[in-house]
Amino acid sequence: MTQESEKPDAGGRSLWSAAWHTLERNWLAMASLGIILVFAVTAVYGEIVYWRYNVINANPPAILVPMQKVFIKVLMAGRVKGQIPPYQRQDLDLQYRQPGWSSVKAFDGTIKTRFFPMGTDGLGRDVFQRIIQGVRIAFQVGIITSLIAIPIAILLGCLAGYFGGWIDDLIVWLYSTVASMPALLFILSISLVVGKGLAGVYLGIGLTTWVYLCRLIRGEVLKHKELAYIKAARVMGLGDGRIIFRHILPNIFHLIIINFSLRFPAAIETEVIMSFLGIGVQNEPSWGIMISNARFRLWYGVWWELVFTTLAIFLIVLAFNLLGDALRDALDPRLRKQPEEV
Amino acid sequence: MSGYIIRRILYMIPTVLGVILITFVLFNVAGGDPAMLKLGKQATAQCLEEYDVQRGYDKPLICGLWGKTRAYWSDFRFSAAPWGMVRGTVYTNNPHRVILPAGGEYSVPLSFSLKPDTCYRWRLDYRRGGPCDAGSARFVVTSGTNIVKTVLLDAGSWKKQYVEFKTPGEPGKLGSSFAVSGAAVELRSLALDKRAGSFFDSQLLFFLGQIARLDFGVSAETNQKVSTMILGGIVPSLILTVPIFFIGLFVQVLLALACAYYRDRFIDRFFVVISVVLMSVPYLVWIIGGQYFFAYRLHLFPVWGFESLKYVVLPVLVGFFSGIGGGLRFYRTVILDEVYKDYVRTAFAKGVSRRGVMLKHVLKNAMIPILTSVVMAIPFLYTGSLLLETFFGIPGLGNLSVNAILSSDFDVVRAAVLVGAVIYVAANLVTDLCYAFVDPRVRLR
Repeated sequence: MTQESEKPDAGGRSLWSAAWHTLERNWLAMASLGIILVFAVTAVYGEIVYWRYNVINANPPAILVPMQKVFIKVLMAGRVKGQIPPYQRQDLDLQYRQPGWSSVKAFDGTIKTRFFPMGTDGLGRDVFQRIIQGVRIAFQVGIITSLIAIPIAILLGCLAGYFGGWIDDLIVWLYSTVASMPALLFILSISLVVGKGLAGVYLGIGLTTWVYLCRLIRGEVLKHKELAYIKAARVMGLGDGRIIFRHILPNIFHLIIINFSLRFPAAIETEVIMSFLGIGVQNEPSWGIMISNARFRLWYGVWWELVFTTLAIFLIVLAFNLLGDALRDALDPRLRKQPEEV
Repeated sequence: MSGYIIRRILYMIPTVLGVILITFVLFNVAGGDPAMLKLGKQATAQCLEEYDVQRGYDKPLICGLWGKTRAYWSDFRFSAAPWGMVRGTVYTNNPHRVILPAGGEYSVPLSFSLKPDTCYRWRLDYRRGGPCDAGSARFVVTSGTNIVKTVLLDAGSWKKQYVEFKTPGEPGKLGSSFAVSGAAVELRSLALDKRAGSFFDSQLLFFLGQIARLDFGVSAETNQKVSTMILGGIVPSLILTVPIFFIGLFVQVLLALACAYYRDRFIDRFFVVISVVLMSVPYLVWIIGGQYFFAYRLHLFPVWGFESLKYVVLPVLVGFFSGIGGGLRFYRTVILDEVYKDYVRTAFAKGVSRRGVMLKHVLKNAMIPILTSVVMAIPFLYTGSLLLETFFGIPGLGNLSVNAILSSDFDVVRAAVLVGAVIYVAANLVTDLCYAFVDPRVRLR
């Protein structure tokens, strides 16, 4: 193919360790991985902050109540009971403060200084804290939509490729139909039907973006089905389920990894657009909502909220794109000719 | 060739049917209660009913004789709902029942009077407990003073019973009531259905009929015909997207050729990096940034509106730049894929110049994947400019759809989705025919 990366003599190494070896020497990929890790840690931190303030008010089903109690204890939620989480705290004296130190006049006349690394927004909320919550939402969207789309793609792709016949016809019909729907409009209408909020975002993106991976898996399964090791497995009398999931699937698993790293940024961008339009996240600081709030303020010289939010989106999407490319080169150079999704 | 064309057109049918089915499932089956979504929770049952009737939502879903009506609605699992108003009745929360004690007459609370000259059906799920030696319980449907229908309620364990009746032609005070004596009647559920025109007079048929007539109903927001709205939106959309598309295609392919020509040299590397970076800039930022710098700061273009061609220049530029990263990368790989094939080596061996190979041989063969990507971009021509249109106030289909989604205008969204999908399927057909035209091998398959 185009750029057969020079692989060192693998010497019996597994695909994964060979791929890791290739990745390791690609500084761009490693830098991207570093950025993604930093964002992931931030997302976990954001999750902790979020639950610390919200776990007490959560109203879980009876089974989860003991877990809620454990969380309350672990997160020391009792100490902040009744307080507004830091990313929602409003203070109209602190409107549109520039990034850096800001002086705050307290009720008793004393002047304190507070540090806002990314300034404050129109309601005096700390932009930095809100961006962290944005990371949390972005990761939730990336992961949960993948958890919806990838299993659908695997299941349908394997069934279609392995069994052929009318099952194949049916699944091919299904995915070509879904592929025909206008992408963004389809996602938006699913979330309209489901209702505003994160559930709509998850289902909208999750139920529409499985087609590409499904098609890919079907093709690969079709190919693997004819290979000697699968024929041998069948001669040995192994069941279909076992052959598909224990033998074929591990051999095409790299496709799923690559797809995951490329769908993640696409999902984030779609969520930003949805939240921006007001159909996505409600009452929580998502990047889309922040951009929507900040965009008119830009015209009055308030640049920080928009710029930092943009920067966050840009960094995470760039990191995932670069890592996805590197993974694709390392795991399966044949896949380079891949159109962008969504 | 004509055989191929016919075969290909036949292939289209299942996909179009699938698209119709998905739209139907999405908006009619999974769609919940469009009337409630549109008119709000405060709307009266009568208003909701009118909305339903106008849009066919009162009919059965796929087939059947009984559709729904909002004249009576209750769900005892959540509340005593309309029965709370009826004197003497008792609501128990667990189990969820409404009890009609003995020795009284209880009229069923209706939200509005039923339509004259129409068949309705009550579905009763009840039990008459206790020793049933004395007295009787009756379910009576009345019109003014006339009794339309009387049903005796049996004693004993739980029983489901249907009470069909036809409302009289002249409008009168129509009511239904329970007359209970002896032992109390316990209701587990009670529902009212309206008779559909015929067994197949369903929402699905209604929808198919709409499609066949190309009449997608009336917008609940503007009261315009949806088909008119969509037709009116096509031209502004095309004015915006066609230039973006063709300028984009031209520039992207040209740059991709340059990259392939200077493969692995500075220019190539530079463009590869730039394209990944450009790809990662959020789409919203392209728009907001472009609007801010070029329209607001530099006053080069108007910020918002659709009055002359001047208004379209900035959105076209924004659309062009936002697409260039992904496009360049895609075409570069497509072209590089060709560069390593045997015929290229042969051409070089023959002594064809580098430029000649690129423009004559490689580009020609790369045309097929490029053609594919052109088709993939056709739905974009239709709605891909959703955000551009919203931001720049261009009254195209994208703007129309976004507004419809924001105001829960189901009919408009449904029509937009459907038309978009059908255009995609048709475009797919056209490409395949182009393939067959360009590449004779395809026809034989």
